[in-house]
This record gives sequence, C-alpha cells and structure tokens, in this order.
Amino acid sequence: MSSRLLQNFKGGRAIVITRRGGWESALETTLAKLGVSTEYPEIVDGRAQIDIASLQADRDILFVDGDLEGAVVIELNPTSHLPPVPVIGLVGVEAPSRLKALVNLGATSFLRKPVHGGAVYTSLFMGINQFLLRAEMSDRLQDLEERRRGRRAVIRAVILLMQQGGLDEESAYSQLRRESMRARQNMELYCEEFLSKRVKPPDTTGRTTGIMLQGGNKRAI
Amino acid sequence: MTRKHYRIGVMFSTTGSYSVVARSILNGALLAFQEVNACSSDVELEPVVVNPSGELPRYRSLSLELLGSGIRQVVGCYTSSSRKEVIPCFEKFDGLLWYPSHYEGFESSDNVIYTGAAPNQHVLPLVDYLASRVGLRAFCVGSNYIWAWENNRIFREALIAHGGTVLAERYLSVGDIEVDQVIEAIIDQRPDFVFNNLIGTSAYAFFRAFRAACRARGIDQAAEIPVASCTLSEPELPEIGLDAVDGHLSSSVYFSSLNSPENAAFIEAYAQSFPDGPVSSADAESSYIAVKLLAAALSQAGTDDARKVRAAVADRRLRAPQGEVRIDRQTFHAWLTPRIGRSAANGQFEVLLESREPIAPDPYLVQSSPRFASAMRSPLLKVVQS
Repeated sequence: MSSRLLQNFKGGRAIVITRRGGWESALETTLAKLGVSTEYPEIVDGRAQIDIASLQADRDILFVDGDLEGAVVIELNPTSHLPPVPVIGLVGVEAPSRLKALVNLGATSFLRKPVHGGAVYTSLFMGINQFLLRAEMSDRLQDLEERRRGRRAVIRAVILLMQQGGLDEESAYSQLRRESMRARQNMELYCEEFLSKRVKPPDTTGRTTGIMLQGGNKRAI
Repeated sequence: MTRKHYRIGVMFSTTGSYSVVARSILNGALLAFQEVNACSSDVELEPVVVNPSGELPRYRSLSLELLGSGIRQVVGCYTSSSRKEVIPCFEKFDGLLWYPSHYEGFESSDNVIYTGAAPNQHVLPLVDYLASRVGLRAFCVGSNYIWAWENNRIFREALIAHGGTVLAERYLSVGDIEVDQVIEAIIDQRPDFVFNNLIGTSAYAFFRAFRAACRARGIDQAAEIPVASCTLSEPELPEIGLDAVDGHLSSSVYFSSLNSPENAAFIEAYAQSFPDGPVSSADAESSYIAVKLLAAALSQAGTDDARKVRAAVADRRLRAPQGEVRIDRQTFHAWLTPRIGRSAANGQFEVLLESREPIAPDPYLVQSSPRFASAMRSPLLKVVQS
C-alpha cells in the first residue's frame, strides 16, 4: 500500500461553483500557474449546471462556494463518505452551518474568500491528497472488514482439518496458510472455498458479506 | 524633458555571514542605477540603501520602514527565509519586491518580481549533468533553512528519477563553520559527488576543509569527489582561498567569463565602479537586470504603483549580460539561460555546458516534475547539527 503524495497538478481541471464577482481571478490565475484550468458552471435557479457523475477523480477538482446554499448536490460514497472527486470549500461567511454544509459535501480542504494567491497551492495540495489518503484508508478498512468476516471460515477450516486429518492446530493453520499462498488468495477467501468443497451441502452462514445483503435482499438458501 | 523622480529601496545584508555575495548584488543594482540615471531616460532613480545585517527581524522592520516612507519598489533579499519574512509587508502596503537571486521555487507572490533562476533553471540542469557525467551516488550538505531543505528535496527526487541515490543529508546552521564531522562522514561514504547547499562562510569553510581532508588522505577531491552547487559564484572563490578554489561545479544562469559584448560592457563598467570588489556574480547580474527592468517599467507605467509597474514589466525583454532575458507574464519569473561551470584557479568559471536559448521559468515544476512525489526513499542518514 503506497501513500504517495500528488505534488504536480498539471492537466487538472478546477470546476468552481460560485457566483462570479471578480474575487475569483486570484484563484484562476494561481491555478493556471499550477497547470490547472478553471471552469465555472452556470448557476440557474440556484442550482449549478453540472453533471457530477461525469467528473473524473484523477483530473477534476470541485471548488464549492459555501455561501451558495444547495447549489450542488453530491452523493457521497456510502462506505467511504467521499465525494466522487476532491472537493475544496470556498469559505466566505465563517459560520458553523456553512462549514458543516461543506463538510457534508465531502470537502477535504478550505480556501478563504477573497482568495489569496499564496494560499491556493496549500489548499489544493491538502484537498487532493486528503481525498486520496481517505480513499486509500477506506479501501483498507473495507478489505479488513471483509477479512474480519472471513475469520470464522478460517476457524472452521482449522477445526475441520484437525478432525479429519488428525493435525494439531498449529499444523492445520500452517497447512491452510501455505496452500492459500500457493493459490494466491488471502486466508479467509481460501478457507471459504476450502470449506465449500469439503462440506456438503455448502454452508453459507460463515460469510455474510455486504454483497449478499446489499439493498436488503437476503439471498434465498 | 522633465524626469520623474522615484525613491527605490535597496535592501541587502552587506554585513553578516553571507555579506560577500550580498555586496556583489548591491553593486550590481547600484551599477544599474548609475546607468539609468546617466542615460536620457524619463525616470530618475534614487536608491535608498538599507542593511539588515543578515538578521531576519531586521528585514521585516526595514521593509516596513521603506514602505512606510512611501517607497513602493524595493530591490532586495538574497536568502529565501528573508524573502518569505518580508512578503507579508509588501502585500500589506502593496509594494513590489524585486528579488534578484536564484531560489527553490514553489512561490509566486503578486508582490514579487523574480529575476533570479527558478529550480528548473538551476538544480534540474545540474542533476542532468551530474547523473550523465559524474555519477549517481550523492551526499547532500546544506545550511539549515528553506533553501537547502527544498533544493535538496528537488535534487533528491530528480536524482532518484535518474536511478541515483542520496546517501545522506547533513545540515549546518547558517554561519556555522564546524564542518569536520560532515567531512568525515563524506569521506567515509565515498559518494560520487557532494551536492552543496551551504551558503556564505559555512560554504567557504567546507570547501577549504574538505579539500584539505581529501589531500591528507591522498584523494584528488576535484576529480574523485567533486562538489556541485547552485550557489557558488565568482566573489566567493577568493573567500575559499587559493588552495581549494579550483574544480568546483556550479549551475548558474550567468558566469562573468561569458563571451558577449553585453557582458564585456557589464564587466568593464562594474570593475570601474567597484574597483575594491567584490567581483560580479550571477546574483549581481540578476540585481542589475532587476533595476534595468524596473526603470523601463516605471517609464512605461508613469507611476510607481505596484500593479501598474507589474503590468508594465510583463513580457518585457532585455539584452542582459547573460543573453536575452524576458519576464514571464504568467509567473513573473524570468526566462534565463542555464549553464554549468567549473571553477578555475584564476577565480573564474569555465563554462562546460550551456542551454542554446533562454528557458521558461517553471517555479512549481509543473512541466518538469513527476505527478506523484517519488516514493519516500529517504536518505540513509539525515542529520541536523545545531
């Protein structure tokens, strides 16, 4: 797992959701120095005309003006609570409600209005790298959660091997570990498959993954 | 013709640990003031010279004094720490600082015009040269402040991209001359070269002691463990001393040995004006360029208002001693011509390589660095000696 920091923003695209009033020129000229182009979606009836789903996380950065209430709706990832692209909050009125709204949009960095050119690099660096770091941590958490759920299969496989193969616990575990490595699978997944091959009919109670229960539809057995 | 009179702040530490270079920079600026005032320009510039003596708090108080007296344009600073110290003052008073030194980049204040080299114009060409012609194993030394930290970081990332390694980084306080431990470590590690970011008296002490230590061990230092810098300039060579003056590599946009009519005129005028030295340098040329561009911009703008002067200097070109120089409209840094030189016993640099033409400044290394920071392969040893 690498934690490499993004330090060169060349080719990036900043989508700035704000009502243009002249103050944003400092943001735009500084972003240009950093190799980032700027676009301003139109705001019609208080809503930014932007298709969030079409944004690309490796290119786009969303700057959202906290003084515009409800100009953009962003659906956060239910697991990571992250937006689809990095969000940087533009803070005018420094009120808790405005800051909370920006946090709820998934902002990982802030920039005070009027924007001071000297603050833009720091804000961009923090916003993008915090987004990447949180996405990476979320992936790790999900992976660990999956494996935690699979530990029961490991215990059951160890017991099965001890009962059927006459092995002690240490040897049974070592054998499973060796074979999972040979199969290039993690222990938990290997043990689930090991059990499904050895125990008839297959017992699915050992693994209650999010995939099976997604949407509340329990799988019929 | 009525000439418009402007008072211009000039702020360099002509005393203190890096005073030799600073006096050379001051001379470069003063020469340009003389030439501007002697020609038939419609502006007359009155330099108001102050000396912060290398003390950071004095940079700030003197900046406030200059700006508070109504001065809007100041040519000043050599170290990055001093520049960063005074920028808030210039922003508060909306003044313009003309910064005439190479630096580590990652800055672009609207209240600064940068006439010295950006990192893509000094450290990156040096890495290319070292990696292709000297070796891949580096030992980094530097003065313990932002210049050396950042320049070493840029150097390390670029060298790693070439497949090289940084064996260690060692830092000394500015002005510290206790260099023996660092030298022992270098000789012990036997790198292909030393990358030096020490400044002023620390650098001179290091060059002298390193040459002597190598000689005592039968090592031909210049050939076997050369020292490469982005700072070393002509006025500093006599400070190192005759015994250790030759064979040092330097990456710079200007050497006084350059062969051009503009440089010949500059060298002659400089020598006539400042017979007692210190001799000219890249930073002296940079401050000379800064004042020349400032005069032209004031003339065009008709005022010393920072925003108008800034607008007037955008895209402005100058036939400088180093060749053509132009101020970049986007970054307000200068297009400059990178060169690699090697010091000789006569106190000059022999130019080993030079760019065919001026190259664009890239202060944030947008065009010349990888998207992600290199994997954190830290140096084997990183020590700060305080």
